[in-house]
Amino acid sequence: MSIGGSDLDKAISQLRACRPIPENQVRELCYKARELLIEEGNVVGVDAPVTICGDIHGQFHDLMELFRVGGDVPDTNYLFMGDFVDRGFYSLESFLLLLCLKVRHPDRITLIRGNHESRQITTVYGFYDECLRKYGSANVWRYCCEVFDYLALGALVTGAATSLPPTSAPLADNANPDSFPSDDSEIEVETLNAQGEIMYRYARNSDSQSSNPTSNPASSSPIAPTPSRTGAAGTGATSSANGSKSNDTGAVLCVHGGLSPLIDTIDKIRLLDRKQEVPHEGAMCDLLWSDPDEIDGWGLSPRGAGFLFGADIVKCFNHRNDLSLIARAHQLVMEGFKEMFDSTIVTVWSAPNYCYRCGNVAAILELGEDGSNAGFVRRSNGERGGGGGGWILGSNVDGNGNRRLSSVLGEGALGQRARDGPGRRYRVFEAAPQDSRGMPAKKPVADYFL
Amino acid sequence: MALVAAPSNDRKRVKVYELKNNDWFDRGTGFCRGVVVNNEEAKILVASEDDPSRQLLETKISKDDGYQKQQDTLIVWTEQNGTDMALSFQEPEGCAGIWDFVNEIQGRLQTLAQDDGLSDDIGDSSPIMLPPPNLGNLADIENHMRAANATPGGREALAKFILAEKYILKLIPLVEEAEDLESTPDLHRLCSIMKMLILLNDNSIVEYVVTDEVILGVVGALEYDPDFPLHKANHRQYLSDESKFKEVVKIEEEQIRKRIHYTYRLQYLKDVVLARILDDPTFSVLNSLIFFHQVDIVQHLQANGAFLKELFGIFHAKEQSLQRKKDAVLFIQQCCAIAKSLQANGRAQLYNNFIGNGLLDVIQYALKHQDASVRVAGTDILVALIDHDALMIRSHIFKAIHEKGKPLTDTLIELLLIEVDLGVKAQMADAIKILLDPNANTASIEALGRSNSDFLAKIRGTLPTIPQTDGFIQTFYDESARKLFQPLKDLEGRESLDDLSVQEVSLYSHLVEVLCFFIRQHSFRSKYFILSENLAARVAQLMDCPEKHLKLIALKYFRTCIGLHDEFHNRQIVQNQLFEPILKILFDTMPRDNLLNSACLELFEFIKRENIKEIVKHLVTTYRDRLQSITYVDTFQTLLLRYDQMNEPPTTQELDHSFTSVESDTPARNVGMVNGGKWGQGLKEADADEEAYFNGSDDEDDGLPQPVKMNGASPVRPLVNYPDDENDEDELDILATSAPSASPHTSSQATQTQESPTTSPLSKANATSPPERISEKRRREEDEEDELLASLSTTGVKRRASTSSNASTGSFKSLRHRKNSISSAKDSGGGPKKISLSIPLKSGGEGGEGD
Repeated sequence: MSIGGSDLDKAISQLRACRPIPENQVRELCYKARELLIEEGNVVGVDAPVTICGDIHGQFHDLMELFRVGGDVPDTNYLFMGDFVDRGFYSLESFLLLLCLKVRHPDRITLIRGNHESRQITTVYGFYDECLRKYGSANVWRYCCEVFDYLALGALVTGAATSLPPTSAPLADNANPDSFPSDDSEIEVETLNAQGEIMYRYARNSDSQSSNPTSNPASSSPIAPTPSRTGAAGTGATSSANGSKSNDTGAVLCVHGGLSPLIDTIDKIRLLDRKQEVPHEGAMCDLLWSDPDEIDGWGLSPRGAGFLFGADIVKCFNHRNDLSLIARAHQLVMEGFKEMFDSTIVTVWSAPNYCYRCGNVAAILELGEDGSNAGFVRRSNGERGGGGGGWILGSNVDGNGNRRLSSVLGEGALGQRARDGPGRRYRVFEAAPQDSRGMPAKKPVADYFL
Repeated sequence: MALVAAPSNDRKRVKVYELKNNDWFDRGTGFCRGVVVNNEEAKILVASEDDPSRQLLETKISKDDGYQKQQDTLIVWTEQNGTDMALSFQEPEGCAGIWDFVNEIQGRLQTLAQDDGLSDDIGDSSPIMLPPPNLGNLADIENHMRAANATPGGREALAKFILAEKYILKLIPLVEEAEDLESTPDLHRLCSIMKMLILLNDNSIVEYVVTDEVILGVVGALEYDPDFPLHKANHRQYLSDESKFKEVVKIEEEQIRKRIHYTYRLQYLKDVVLARILDDPTFSVLNSLIFFHQVDIVQHLQANGAFLKELFGIFHAKEQSLQRKKDAVLFIQQCCAIAKSLQANGRAQLYNNFIGNGLLDVIQYALKHQDASVRVAGTDILVALIDHDALMIRSHIFKAIHEKGKPLTDTLIELLLIEVDLGVKAQMADAIKILLDPNANTASIEALGRSNSDFLAKIRGTLPTIPQTDGFIQTFYDESARKLFQPLKDLEGRESLDDLSVQEVSLYSHLVEVLCFFIRQHSFRSKYFILSENLAARVAQLMDCPEKHLKLIALKYFRTCIGLHDEFHNRQIVQNQLFEPILKILFDTMPRDNLLNSACLELFEFIKRENIKEIVKHLVTTYRDRLQSITYVDTFQTLLLRYDQMNEPPTTQELDHSFTSVESDTPARNVGMVNGGKWGQGLKEADADEEAYFNGSDDEDDGLPQPVKMNGASPVRPLVNYPDDENDEDELDILATSAPSASPHTSSQATQTQESPTTSPLSKANATSPPERISEKRRREEDEEDELLASLSTTGVKRRASTSSNASTGSFKSLRHRKNSISSAKDSGGGPKKISLSIPLKSGGEGGEGD
């Protein structure tokens, strides 16, 4: 039997209800997916607009919440940066649903590989076990692992707009509109809550704004919609586009882990034969395992695979490859996203209340489409030189002891950036309401002999 | 002061365990007795049962409260030197005897100590009292408990009280009472109370809650989780469903049957009831209880001759129902799955007894069964068996050959060829690989040898002389290989591959993959086989098929060959013009950026980088024009250049146009790490090596676990990579490219770097070379301590033994900083490690960053 057309739609609706599809359908689905993925480059080209998502980790109900917050496929284009499986109790349903959507709308959804998309890791962290329980044999796990080997290693988003179009979104209750930039300024970063209400908004640094005094910083302490949680998401100084040089935005590289000392240009990723189990070292391994860190140059990773890399590495890489931003996942961040190194790299994490208990919120990153002006050079930001840091719209001082802004968005200007980052809209969301899902649990062993 | 009488020294049979690297290492079996040396000293001694003159254990009983009795047959303690030890008694009575002895001695020593005025008993917490529960005072009780729960002392006192007063038994009737009244708040309180009790992480409480007396009441209370106010779980219904227990052969022993049920309930608690809220310590308590139950069950069954006879008899008698036979296969499969977590010699004993009763026939039976799930089970058992001891299986196969029977290898091959279930087919291919892997389970054999060589000899003695693995492989090539690869051979003369069926595609994929495996593992035998059968040309033929993934696999075959740096393979490829189809794929895919194209580029990059002269020469002389036309990457221009360099004196400073040349100042050693220096010979499925690899360190932030001693040898990389086969196999010297060098003829990367001027800001960054990767990844001693679990289980090869447990534990690291209970549990841990799998927590660590 083949899975196509209406069968596929049936499978999708069954999976959306969190019910696994039969083994033979999984096989067909995986074969179909393989045919599609084999046509993708190691770095897939993706056009903005696109919504970039981080780790899912089998939290099926939260994936549904993600689609609710970010819009459904195919209305929204998605790019998932790997780690679909393990840890959560519904890896199978989550991954198969994403795969179905991929097969159904190949141009609307991009899946790249995470370090958990590997035979070794899944045998230890739950996916293997889950398949065994749900199907009684490892066949489905084998089919899925085969697909893992075909997943792209990264994606390159082009055509993203430098600033966000003004939205008519309502303000969140606790947002402080006074701290928002004036209407005519360019919005660089905006953070919305799960209801689509604006929590924070930051303008790109520019003359007109930099002459504005920050209005009463003490009173504008942002409060997250969930004060019980860890602190305001997106509370941060705006990034430091210093305006010394202005360009249209460069491309955005999306990869699960990070950079590799063996990869200095994106073209080199193309020279890898990715169809293999994630190796224990080498470029392919690093792309899936590395982490940015506050160090100079490269460092050993405590994970035992991949490397740590510092701001200098990111900046050089971005400069050389004409990137404005690297988006990656791989690390839990309590606020759902975290920009580092002057907003040259961002971690996006999309598994809220990770492992059903971490208490973190999740985020997705929307990049808008640069509709009008391919190749258009953005107007100059004026003469102001580098340094001095970005114009702070929100407040660094937080009355509630909440996390400081700068811990989320990049810290002040460390160096000059050749490219302004794309306009970034983060949608932050929490775990799906408990009642929408029943108690999460693993499937019990059906029969037992011993 | 009365002397404590030594317990009667009737022979108490025990196993002595020592915790080494988080693994309970079996020091041997012997007989245990307690001796009073003098007024201030008493000892526990265990004499080996094989050799009574050998002491397996001699330990002085200390006055400190370091001993724990777990279940009925375990005593666990920490030695003065910090080693965790355990005694596992055969009989509960024996255990009780020694336990009483220890207690009495301790009491006496403590009195002595107090006489010295040196008592340090201050930490003892005041006892806790809770009122008899009723629906009216549940809120108070919950608050009291919560308060007590906050300190280690309080937790301990609470646990003592709960057990002493049989408090759980008093709580249980309240569930139904509250249900009758439909009092949701009370039900929620009961649930919270019950959760707290279990998460006290007290062995005895956890053991108690799964007993027949209270289990249903306990899970009943847990059905009303206040976190899910609108839901009611149906745990009672699930657990009271007797039909889930399949008793293929009646288990006479009441104790064992009970344990089977307890195990099931513990698993249910772990996976379902508590899945969301388990903290590390409780998780490990559950796991260790499950483990010890399973060990006992399996040990009992495998030693029970009558039981085994009946079990395996199911397959002989003709009148048995098919369902019963199927269940029996599944039963054996489950036994083998559990056996994976046993110590090597316990496992050996089990398999030996099983084989003695006809396990191999059962496998043959299962492999040919019409039901795919039984075939899967059969392969599972077989793979477990090979994993455990490939030599043993091989000698059985030899025996079959000598007796003119049908060897298992042939069965496997036949099944691979005709199997329709694609999952089973993949498994068969795996089984064949493992069976013929010359390096298979060195680890388990090592473990066997380490633990008990006498025992090993005993087992081995019963089999015909063990032929060398080599001989086995030779026999395979003589007898069976042709059969296996016949379908490939049959491709000869086939005009078109456009109409391959799904089955055929899958078969060819597996065959080529197996062939790749063989050329890496059996170098010279496979070479001549491939030559005589002309298989390389057949594989090349597959590149013509429309199925891209099959093309890719065929391409991989050639990549593997070339990666071996073996002139033999190279010559064969050259002579047969096998680059023709590869170039065809390249040209077909060329403008596009896709997987096939990347795989081709990688192949040519490799040839270029390694400067494999014979191939470069062949390529350039045969295809110069075509190669010249490929300009979208520099690889091919560089190849041409390489060739030209070969043919002229190296005087000119040619520019090397590799597009990677700009930043060629990265130190050469990086080269070694490019693109997957796999440690193995690559391309393995999760198999023995990887398992071994996980044994040590599977929790903790997914760090790729430390490298395994790959089949005994640690994969230390040389600083400079010489182009020997293994290490270079998958490299891609992306950064280290040939800089203008004085001696362009040197082929090795070692010379290719470091001299070029830094030309871009980036190269500067890259020049800060990454730290040399300590090839012993993650061999951080401190971690080892933290790295739990796995096992008890796993000395030897562990396939997916305790995966489920590891699965969830791994995640806990990221939770740690938010779990007070965890740290307090740690604080309270004055006692010895709980036997097993207790997960000590690392302080510090990278708190929030997990994944």
